[in-house]
Parts: sequence; C-alpha cells; structure tokens
Amino acid sequence: MDPRIAQRLSVVALHVVVISGALLTVAPIVFMIYSSFKTTTEIFTLPPWLPPAEWSFKNYEILLTNWPFPYWYINSLIYAGVVTVFVLFFCSLAGFAFAKYQFRAKNILFIILIGSTMIPFQLILIPLFILMSRIDWVNHPASMIVPWMAPAFGIFLMRQYIQAVPTELMESARIDGASEFRIYAQVIVPLVRPGLTTLAILTFLGSWNSYIWPLMVLRGNEVITLPVGIATMRSQATAAQIPYGEMMAAASMVSVPVIILFVALQRYFISGLTIGAVKG
Amino acid sequence: MIQSALARGREARASGGLHQHKLAPYAFISPFYVLFGFFFMAPSLIALVLSLFRWDGINDPRFVLTRNYGRLVSDKVFAQAATNTAIYAIASLLIVIPIALVLAVLLNSKSLRFSNVWRAMYFTPVVTSTVAITLVFQILYNRDTGFLNAPLIYLGLEPIYWLGDRSWAKVAIIILIAWRSTGLLTIYFLAGLQSIPEELYEAASIDGASALRRLFSITIPMLRPIILFVSIIVLLSSIQIFDEPQILTGGGPANATMSVVQYLYERGFTRLRLGFASAVGTVLFATVFILSLLQLQWYGVFRKED
Repeated sequence: MDPRIAQRLSVVALHVVVISGALLTVAPIVFMIYSSFKTTTEIFTLPPWLPPAEWSFKNYEILLTNWPFPYWYINSLIYAGVVTVFVLFFCSLAGFAFAKYQFRAKNILFIILIGSTMIPFQLILIPLFILMSRIDWVNHPASMIVPWMAPAFGIFLMRQYIQAVPTELMESARIDGASEFRIYAQVIVPLVRPGLTTLAILTFLGSWNSYIWPLMVLRGNEVITLPVGIATMRSQATAAQIPYGEMMAAASMVSVPVIILFVALQRYFISGLTIGAVKG
Repeated sequence: MIQSALARGREARASGGLHQHKLAPYAFISPFYVLFGFFFMAPSLIALVLSLFRWDGINDPRFVLTRNYGRLVSDKVFAQAATNTAIYAIASLLIVIPIALVLAVLLNSKSLRFSNVWRAMYFTPVVTSTVAITLVFQILYNRDTGFLNAPLIYLGLEPIYWLGDRSWAKVAIIILIAWRSTGLLTIYFLAGLQSIPEELYEAASIDGASALRRLFSITIPMLRPIILFVSIIVLLSSIQIFDEPQILTGGGPANATMSVVQYLYERGFTRLRLGFASAVGTVLFATVFILSLLQLQWYGVFRKED
C-alpha cells in the first residue's frame, strides 16, 4: 500500500477511535439531560433517542415546587462556598510557611502533614461521628465545614506553587517594613492566583459531590445537601413510583453547572491534579 | 547624624521583623495542626481504642481485647466485601489503566484535530456528581428497558439482569467505576507523556519503528513512574469505594457487590456495632498505610530535600 494512503488511514482511524470514545463518555450525561424533559414512562421506553411526546420543563417545575430541592441546592452552595474560602486562606498561609521559612521542627512537621494524608477518612468515620454528636454538631452546618478547612493536600499544593515565587520579592518587602502577614497578603497571594484557583475548584467540587459524610451527619431538609437529597428522592418512594423524571432533572441541575465551570476552568483543574504526578 | 539615625531605625525594624519572622511560620501552619489534632488524630486514636471494645453507643463499652478482630476474620460477609473490593481494584488496574494509557497516547497525537474538545469530553465524568450519574446508570442497566440491554431485546435474546445477578451486578459496578475514573487517569498519563523528550520518538521513527513498537519500547518504559503512581492511586481509591455500590445496588444482591466501606458503614451505623466497625476501620487503615508508604517513597518525601 502507498505509505501516504496508509498514513491517511491511520489518521482517520485515530479520529474514529477518539471521537467514538468521547461520545460514549458523554452519552450518559446527554441521556440524563434528555431524560429530564421526559415523563418516567418515556424514560423507560426504547429506543432512548425517541423524543418526549411533549417538550416541557414540568419535571423541573415539580422539582422546585413539590420537593425541598431549592433548600438542598442552597445548603450545598453554602457548605461548598464557605469551606472553599477557609481552605484557600489556611492552605495558602501554611503553604507559604513551608515554602519560604526555615523554622525549628519544620521537617518533622512536614512529615506529619504528609503522613496525615495516609489516614483514610473511613477509619475515622465512626469516631468522628461520635465526636460530632458529643459537641452537638450533628445536623449542624459546622460539621460540613470546620473539620475540612485545612486539608494537607491543599497545603502541599500551595507549597508547590509558592516555592516558585522568587524569595527576593519577600526580602525587599521586609526591608520596606512589611509585616510577615502583609508579605503573605500583598506579595505572595497576588502571585499565586492560578494555584488558588486550582485549589478553589478542587475544594468546591469535592464538597459539592461528597456523599458519605453528609449522609451520616445531616438529617432533615433544612440541612441536607444535593447528593443526599437526590438519593432520598429514590429511597423514599415505593419501587413502582420512583420519580425518575424529576430525579433526572435534579441530577442535571447538580451536574451541568459544574461541568460548565470545569470546561471553562479546565486548565487550572488539570494543573492541580497533576502537580504531584509530574514531579518526582 | 541623619545617616546613622536612619541606619539605627532600619536595624530596629529588622530585628523586630526577625522576632516576628521566627514566630510567623508557626502561626501560619497552626490551623492545620489544631484541626488535624482535634478532628483526625484524636478520632483515629479513639478508633484504635474502640476497636478493642464492644459498644452500641448507649450502654457502657465492654473491653473485649482482640475479639472484634477475631470475629472480623471469620465473618463471611466481611470476606465477601473484601473479595468484592479486591475485584474492583484488580479490574481497575487491569482494565481502566490500560484504556487510560492508550487513550492518553491517542489524545497526545499530533495528527489529532480539535484535541481540546475531545479531552474536555473525556474529563467530564471526573467532575460529575457520583450520585447523579449512578442514578442515570441505574436506568441504563434496567433489565427490560435499559439501553444496555437494547441490542439483546431487539434480537429477541434473553436480556441481562444487570443489577439482580450476582456476577453481572459486579460487572455493572466495574463499568460505572471505569466510566468515572478513566478520564482522571488519562489526565495523569497525559501529564507524564509531555515529559518524554520528543527526540526519542524522532530517533525511533528514523529507525522505522512502528507505532506499536514505539508504544512498548519508548512510551511505556518512560512512563513507568507515572504508571506506578497511578496504580497506587487506583488501589487507594478502590479500597475506599462506597458511593457506587451504595446507590446502584445497595450492596446487593445478597452482598454480591458490597464494598468494605459499605460493610463498615452498615455495621457501624445501621447496627450500631461501633467497636466492631472501628476494627474494620483499623484494618482499612493498615492497608492504606502500607500503600501510602509506597506512594510516599515514590513522591520522594523520604529523600533528603535541599
């Protein structure tokens, strides 16, 4: 075969494989959004690409009026938003200290920091829950925020970013009489915005999608989060009456804004995930 | 006069700064250690102690030494959950990692057009809520009208009982895990591919090496550290699987898909066997600890820095 034709064919094959895989990957998400406009009966009718008899936002209307969905949404937004603000502050501050200061016991403290990532959250699931009930934080928003405000991973991430900031900038600010905290706030923070954005996305996403912890500590519509709420939509119904149409509307409202955010901020997200992987 | 006054002022400020300089880093790192001590270290120690007791959370705890661990070893449901979790881990290692690796190589190819668009599509599962997508898969797995059974139904064949058959239910969970994690692993491999020097490939193509040959003699050997890193990540996250089986199958049918964390959750919360569940947590911890040591070794944390 003419090598140029062979070359052409392999490029075509490459595109066929990559594109069909990509379509397969997004298919369940497309199915979810498409189904959110159908009735439950239509969702369970083959083939799935049949359009609904009537295009309507009915599932969304029911979701917003008959279900405490708006509460769940606001709760999730508040937990994820507040925890993100604290994480950004505490992790960048500690990351700054580990990146730019020499102090006694620094090495051992750093090993403790890294070692803490070894504790699987599941080990402490039960004792942490017991602790929460002892300090009356069960069903309290603090249980979704306070324990998660300074994750070791975030400190490690910020340390990597801050190490790249030239130390001379700090020194000259110090000669100008700036306090250490001012150096952090006015010299370091503006220079590590990409790192902060990355950490913000990862933290927000982690809190937004978390399931097992809110499932345990939160009860009642005034406090539960979106994933827990959506799961209860199914568990509360009898098998024959599971409101799949409304659940698909809810699932779309949880996922679609986050997917859009991700596509817009993809670069930051990926750099955060790979910062540990490439070094080494 | 003026010169020396200025100099003295500068000195004073510098020494004040120095004092501050010494304390500041401790102040900056303290939030982590306070929160870690209170919410993670203390509960971890409580879990270790509690694993030696029998406690329902209401009556007084009773010291039973290692009897919880003894029960755990002989518990058939735990053995089942541990086996299931191992199956998920092995499936991820043997199926998801190779797919992600090949996908990364394809996405990295220079002749691929619009590669950013395809990349974004592959990464969407990483950010999608597990609960939301698991409910979608539940519809797709439906025996009589699920999309995954559609070809069999049209051909008039017996449809697969995805969520009701002991073996197929495991396959269903593995497909869902694969769907969710392939994109994430691809991100790691893509980052690794970018660190391979271009010259290696140029030299190989001058020598007339085929694409397959280049994959096995350049790409895979050069990616070895990343492959190891990703394998450990996959093992760690497999051990902690909860959301997928909890929502898709509830651990059923007859515990056929139950994971270790689900077992822990069920024993601890539904049955209030807090001491026993703490023993399960401790076993998990020992497993994760060993895997993490391997990971840290890879990160180079134990290498002397600077």
